[in-house]
Amino acid sequence: MRLTPKSKTPKGVLLLIAAQIICAVFFLSDVIDDFRGYGATALYDTHILIESASAFLLWMAILFEIRLFFGLLRRTAHLESSLSIAQAAMHDVIEAHFESWGLTPSEQDVATFMVKGMSISEIAALRGSAEGTIKAHMHAIYRKSGTHNRGEVLSLLIDSLMEDSPPTNETT
Amino acid sequence: MARIKVWDPFIRLFHWSLVILFAANSLFVDDDSKLHIWVGYAILALVGLRIVWGFVGTPHARFADFPPSLKRGMAQLSEMATRRKHAHAGHSPLGALMIYNLILTLLVISLSGYLMTTNMFWGTEWPEELHEVAVAWAQISVVAHIAAVFFETRRLGVNLARAMVTGYKNM
Repeated sequence: MRLTPKSKTPKGVLLLIAAQIICAVFFLSDVIDDFRGYGATALYDTHILIESASAFLLWMAILFEIRLFFGLLRRTAHLESSLSIAQAAMHDVIEAHFESWGLTPSEQDVATFMVKGMSISEIAALRGSAEGTIKAHMHAIYRKSGTHNRGEVLSLLIDSLMEDSPPTNETT
Repeated sequence: MARIKVWDPFIRLFHWSLVILFAANSLFVDDDSKLHIWVGYAILALVGLRIVWGFVGTPHARFADFPPSLKRGMAQLSEMATRRKHAHAGHSPLGALMIYNLILTLLVISLSGYLMTTNMFWGTEWPEELHEVAVAWAQISVVAHIAAVFFETRRLGVNLARAMVTGYKNM
């Protein structure tokens, strides 16, 4: 049996975010109404202050969820649908490296295509940007990872995969 | 960079008349006035024409050009997440969902508003409540629509608001 990782598009999360945005709009308009009604005295009203703080926190939570959701979308976009569990795990290790190098979402996307062996012009077409932009992204990837070319990036990744692999069959 | 003709004169006229009429009725015109009712009829007529135009109009105006699809909407969100840039000539998938949302909401507003004027629903509360909830939803949608136009214009480098004035997209 071929095991496949979970890489479905996170529709549930999107639904949750949409529902929370509707609630947050409602609470925010309520808070604004209160401040309109009470004016500056609202600042001394504990109930209104707690209400404002909750509305604010809800908005923060929504922003956090959107960040998380975009991360999930990136993961889904970079994982091909029929990957095995092992390949998905390898992908996660590679992605962890990209994050530890501090790559931006664009650079992570370019680096993923680069590791898959695509040419600059292919990556440019896939991303809908100019080849010069892709070259600039690649230079940023080399700079941030302390490498000089595609080969060095690959050896760095493979090296770490071999080091990080759990010790197996040491007793035999 | 190519200059592509996207929106025909009817679409542009429809869009901006709707902006003016909806803004008028939801913000300025007295709710109980005759004018409010006439503006409402005008909006209903505009939306009706837009629906007809969605079947017989120019290529990008047709519903077949922007079918409602959650899957394609998700794909557009993925493009945002990975910072890929593929501009759409007509409506983008998420833009399309907003168009359907606005058309349906405007129909609900017009029809519930009409029911409030009929004798049959004299004294019943629900048409008025539905009318108000739908208007609030439309206002939230309009704010989201404008925010999305700004965001997508910046993300893709294609001035969407100008395209709705001139009819052309530079992409």
